[in-house]
Order: sequence, then C-alpha cells, then structure tokens
Amino acid sequence: MTLEQIFQNVVEGEMAAVEAGVRSALEQGIPADRILNEALIQAMAKVGRLFEEGEIFVPEMLFAARAMQTGLKLLKPALAATDVQSAGKVAIGTVQGDLHDIGKNLVVMMLEGAGFEVEDLGTDVPPEKFVQAVQNGAQVIGMSALLTTTMASMLKTMEALRAAGVREHVKVVIGGAPVTDAYARKIGADAYAADASVATRIVRQLIA
Amino acid sequence: MNALPPPGRPVVILACRVFQHWLENLLQAWAGAPPALTFFDYGLHAVPKNLRQTIQAAIDSVDQPSLIVLGYGLCGNGLSDIRAGQHFLLIPRTDDCIAILLGSYQAYRREMDREPGTYYLSKGWLEAGTNPLRESQKLAEKYGAEKAAWLMEVQYHKYRRLAMVARDGDELERYRSQAEAVAAYCARWDMRYEELLGSDGYLLRLIELVQSDGAQPGEDFLLIPPGGLLEQALFVRTD
Repeated sequence: MTLEQIFQNVVEGEMAAVEAGVRSALEQGIPADRILNEALIQAMAKVGRLFEEGEIFVPEMLFAARAMQTGLKLLKPALAATDVQSAGKVAIGTVQGDLHDIGKNLVVMMLEGAGFEVEDLGTDVPPEKFVQAVQNGAQVIGMSALLTTTMASMLKTMEALRAAGVREHVKVVIGGAPVTDAYARKIGADAYAADASVATRIVRQLIA
Repeated sequence: MNALPPPGRPVVILACRVFQHWLENLLQAWAGAPPALTFFDYGLHAVPKNLRQTIQAAIDSVDQPSLIVLGYGLCGNGLSDIRAGQHFLLIPRTDDCIAILLGSYQAYRREMDREPGTYYLSKGWLEAGTNPLRESQKLAEKYGAEKAAWLMEVQYHKYRRLAMVARDGDELERYRSQAEAVAAYCARWDMRYEELLGSDGYLLRLIELVQSDGAQPGEDFLLIPPGGLLEQALFVRTD
C-alpha cells in the first residue's frame, strides 16, 4: 500500500482501507511521521478544499475525518516515540446549556486531521472549564452554540476568561448555526468560523 | 420600535410548509380579501444560504409595496440578512419552528429547561420525511449501511427525548403510529418518547398583528420597515 493510496482512501472516507493501508505502510517501515504528513494530513487538507468548494458535503467530510482518525490512532504509538511537533494546542466545546455536538465534533476531527492537538471538552461546558483549558496550555479556544438562547454562554465564557486574567494568553474562535461574524466582534472573540474547514484555516492563522 | 403599517397594504405570506395546515385553518376567519399565501419546501433550512436566496427572491418578486409575513424563525441564519426593499417584513422572533409549534417562546424555553436534548417531531416533519428513521434509510441508500449507521450515531446519540408536537388530540391520534415508529428506531440512543400538545397561539397572535391598525410588534415579533434589513442580532434575546 502506497502513501498515495492511503491519501485517496482518506479522501473517499474508506475507513477499513485506511486502517489496512496504514498497517501495511508501518510494516514496510515507512516512518509514521511521513504517513501522517504525506497521506493523512494532506488528505484532510484536500477534503477541506473540496468542502469549501462545495464539491462534497458534511457526510463525506465526516467519513473522511473518521478514516483519518482511524489511521492516526494506529500511528500514535510510533509518533509518540519520535519527536513530532503538534501544530498547536486547541480546546473546544459546546457552551453551557447546549448539547448539540455534531458541528463541534466535525471541527475536532478536522483540526486533528490538520495536525493540531485537540482537547474535546464535550457539551454543556461551563465557562470555568474553558478557563482551566487555557491554564493547561490551550493556545486556542473553540466555542460552539446552536441556539440564540445559548449563545449568551459564549459571552459569559469571554467574561470568565477576562476575569481569570487569561484572555490575552489565548485566541478565541466561535461558531454554530445562529452565530455570526458580527456576534464574534460584539463579544470580543478573535474570529468566527462558518464551518469546520474554515475553522481549521482560521486556527492555523491565529497561532501562526 | 416601529408600528405595523395602517391597513390597506396588500398582505403576502411566505411560509415554511410545516405551518401550512395551521395557517390555512387560521386564515379561514380572515375578513376581506385573503392574503396571498406561498409555502416553501421543508428542507430548505438544511442549507441556510438556499433558504435565504429563496425567500429574498420571493420578497423581491412582489410588485406592490406590501406587508410580507414570513412564516419562519431565524432557521440557522437562513432568515438573516434579508432585505425588506419596498415592503414591511413581519416575522416571529424565534430560533426555528419549534417555538411556533409549541405556541410561544416561553413554552419553548420551558421544554428546553425540562430536556435540552430533545428532538422534535410534528405532522409537517413526518410528512416531509424529515425524521431520524427516514434519514437513516436515505443515508443507507446513499452511503451503505455501515456508514449510515455511524453517521446517525454521531448526530443523534446525545438526544434524550423524542417529542411529538401536535395541534390537538385528533392530530396526535392520526400521526401516533408514524411517530412511534421513529421512537422505536431512536430507542437505540435511550431516547424516551413523549407527546406534547402544541398551540396555534403564536401564529394566531401573528395573524392578529397583521390585521391590527398600527399595533406594536412587541418582543415576540420583528417588524422591519421598508429599506430595512432583517439581521441575526434582532433575534437574539437576552433573557
């Protein structure tokens, strides 16, 4: 199995084929970081582009992300042994009062696919948990809300970050169905991301 | 705050098909020439940009300066950045159709407090085939069983309650077996099934407002005057 085939199987979301491909590549002695960078991450970059161009939709992006995750899991032991630099540390969650997590999960997978170290805080995340994540070294916070009524928790979290004195140590990106660029500016977040692909690009820019 | 324009302007209703049955019933009591009524497909909100384009095109195609009633909520920002043009726009101030089906914003908040992880069903959604059971079948046809099952799991495993909202007991009776079939499918995520009686109170207040003489829209409706812009920020409540 070549890296090109793994790449293609990730793009097409073929999880079992990616799993077999990565196993076989490791057995052939291809370094884990090469499999990661040349197949998995490149494939997710292509998937992001296809999504932004409207060539594929959320389901296809999710299948690709799942396939990439499967490959990544197999690489992790080997990657831990070598000295692979993560692209950055991101903590992300759905804000307090809100249980919707499809969009948030998609962003998590896309960010991992782009090489970031992601802490998934889950759903219904209180402000102090976001604060804690920053204290634990997150460079970027991602907040998601699916209702106008729970968007207010984003503002509360921003206030908590300021009150804890960690606001200037972290970049904040927000997203979700009713969220807008104007709302991001209003509550003093650093950016609004319209979808998972855009989120990945923005996070990369924010900690460049 | 703007007041409704005095009567005399033509009334045009552009609404989601989910409200067709309810609106047609309410409008039977309308005095005088009935408003022009257009319903749009249920599924438009899946791509909010398409919903926005469809509604904006429908508004722009109304020749005479009118009072245009939008039978929608914010619907994932599908109804934000809509230009009024030469018309007045009137719309319920709500995230989506759930509050309208339940009868008020307060009723929606109550249900959300009771169980935030609720997936709602209604007659309209059942007829449109927009429910987890039908969705799983469509996904399986398109992507195969394994991918479909996984995709359903990713989307729905956090929901804890499936709530069927009906207008009255008769409607519940007629749609119960369909709703229960969906409930049986959703039992895999430990979602419990509940039946809720909705209310046409929200739509009734909307119709009353339209027929009023210069009334204020109040906090449950948004009124956009000619030249104005319907924006997301207007929908956001602080309570």
